[in-house]
Amino acid sequence: MPDQIVVRGLRKQFPKVLAVAGVDLNVAAGEVFGLLGPNGAGKTTTLEMIEGLTPADAGEIGICGLNWRQHAQEIRARIGVQLQATSLYNKITPREALELFGSYYPKRRQTQELLELVQLQEKADAYHVTLSGGQAQRLALALALVNDPEVVFLDEPTAGLDPQGRRSLWEVVRKMRSEGRTTMLTTHYMDEAEALCDRLAILDHGKILRSGTPAELIASLGIPSVVELTFDGAAPDPSAFAARLGIPVEARGDVWEIPTPDPKTLLPKLFTAIESERLEYNQVHVRRATLEDVFLQLTGRSLRE
Amino acid sequence: MNLPNPFELLWRQFRNEWRLYARDKAAMFWTFLFPLLMLFGFGVIFRSGGPPALTLVRVRPAQETARDKAFLKALEESRLKIVTLGAKEAEERWAKGETTAQLESAGDGYRLRLNSYLIAQGQVAAQAASQAFLVAQARLNGSPEPERIPFVVESPGHAHSDSYAAFLVPGLIGLNLLTMGLFSVGMVTVSYREKGKFRRLAVTPLPKWVFLLGQILQRVTVVVLQTAVLLVAARLAFQIANQGSNLLLAVLVVLGTATFLAMGFALSSFASTVETYGAISNLVFFPMMLLSGVYFRLDSAPRWMQNAVFLLPLSPYLRVLRGVFNDGATLAGHGVGLAILGAWAVLSFVLAVKRFRWV
Repeated sequence: MPDQIVVRGLRKQFPKVLAVAGVDLNVAAGEVFGLLGPNGAGKTTTLEMIEGLTPADAGEIGICGLNWRQHAQEIRARIGVQLQATSLYNKITPREALELFGSYYPKRRQTQELLELVQLQEKADAYHVTLSGGQAQRLALALALVNDPEVVFLDEPTAGLDPQGRRSLWEVVRKMRSEGRTTMLTTHYMDEAEALCDRLAILDHGKILRSGTPAELIASLGIPSVVELTFDGAAPDPSAFAARLGIPVEARGDVWEIPTPDPKTLLPKLFTAIESERLEYNQVHVRRATLEDVFLQLTGRSLRE
Repeated sequence: MNLPNPFELLWRQFRNEWRLYARDKAAMFWTFLFPLLMLFGFGVIFRSGGPPALTLVRVRPAQETARDKAFLKALEESRLKIVTLGAKEAEERWAKGETTAQLESAGDGYRLRLNSYLIAQGQVAAQAASQAFLVAQARLNGSPEPERIPFVVESPGHAHSDSYAAFLVPGLIGLNLLTMGLFSVGMVTVSYREKGKFRRLAVTPLPKWVFLLGQILQRVTVVVLQTAVLLVAARLAFQIANQGSNLLLAVLVVLGTATFLAMGFALSSFASTVETYGAISNLVFFPMMLLSGVYFRLDSAPRWMQNAVFLLPLSPYLRVLRGVFNDGATLAGHGVGLAILGAWAVLSFVLAVKRFRWV
């Protein structure tokens, strides 16, 4: 099956900033593809150009083998979109909203089935204004699925949700994947990207820095593990210690992070150095490297900054 | 791929707009109840056809002379309501601002004090009091009483609608149209754009014209219903009926609806937030509401101001509407007014089409 989303040379210049500076990407059918990056990286602009909301300055976009110039209405009929903030009429109920939006499409899913999917049965007849943030977010997701779409776009789907809300949304995305839908989402949570996405592109300043499966991206670091040394209060300056150890040590808050390809040989050396330096530390952890570390290595900045 | 039939969608959008509108209690109040309250409120206050009876406060003289008594009798025969108070109570009442005109003794004559805030009514009271004084003097002197010229109350078109409520009905119809255009259309458009409702619709295959037309048709049916409610209420409560052609009245309501609807859309293109729009729309709404003759004619204002106001769309519109509704007139003689209204309609429509933005 050909790729469901094909993007080449996508660019967008806003009056003061080059929001998207030449993006290429392919999303295969049935894949969950994530755009990972900090706020302002150009994720939403990229997504909205692909969704046909924002006109691109340059570049080619193909969705299900169609393009926006010739097949706009057909593309709209076949995709589902959850915008970053979905605004609805205040006094519409989820049931009515699903019926109304469903009526716009040639193909539609049962309202009851969608309400159950996003667990909104109990709020099905409550006005939209009375829904909590998480419930409104779930309704927005159900609306994105109302036309039984082949390709689904989710912009920051879990922003502002509590941990339980995020988990249940992840379940819905996994279900979409098992139904064979193609999903493209943006997020700035690395755990979300790692848990949900088959493939990812790390975006910063409107450019894709690297893309691949989460495992590939982490492997590209060449350092699968990180040793963390936690201190009481702020971590001391690690430069002398790093020189002694012969590998880089990064101080972040109350933690020293020491990336290593081989914790087994590092740890004895580390404890010897701690002993002779008489270093007062609190705890030591060894963890797997994450996408956060990949981002840090690529940009020198943290995702959350 | 078979997209849904746009006309079925239009019907659905129209029903949805109505359902949401009916749930909005504030909109229902301003649309249907407020005009009725205004009609009943003012209609009852000015029931007699003219302004309500004026009250003249008379300060009780230390000694009631024969002249005082004769004057009082003549005053009581006039259209004024006379309240006689001691000097102290009269002063208290004056200080509270409740007195329009006060008659007091001064030297061996009388003097009238008129409240500067109520100068129009005060002058009417003063004239009536002066006339009563002439009557009283004539009686005391035994000379013939001054003759009064009889008068009749009649609308400019010689029709029967001589009550204030009849004057008010076309005014309220026009005000409804203005409110619908500026707020139900303009404000709603700005808020949909600002909050991103249009963006959510833009990613669906719903044709934009279907959405807009559905909204417009709903507002038009609101206006038709609102006008019908007002006309029925006016007929049942005050026996006010359209003196002119019903067809002409309908044509004028459609023309007004189109003009103010286009104006709402046009104005909405000049604001990107609801706050800005609120400021702009109030700047347009209040002068039009107060000066265009919805509640009162601007006859005492300077000529230049009356002319300036006549260039705004509501003022000529109300004049034509009153001509038909109250005077049973035709459109003849309203050429200038209709031209001004038409110019506004065209200008608004062009601006609305050229400047309309979805995001």
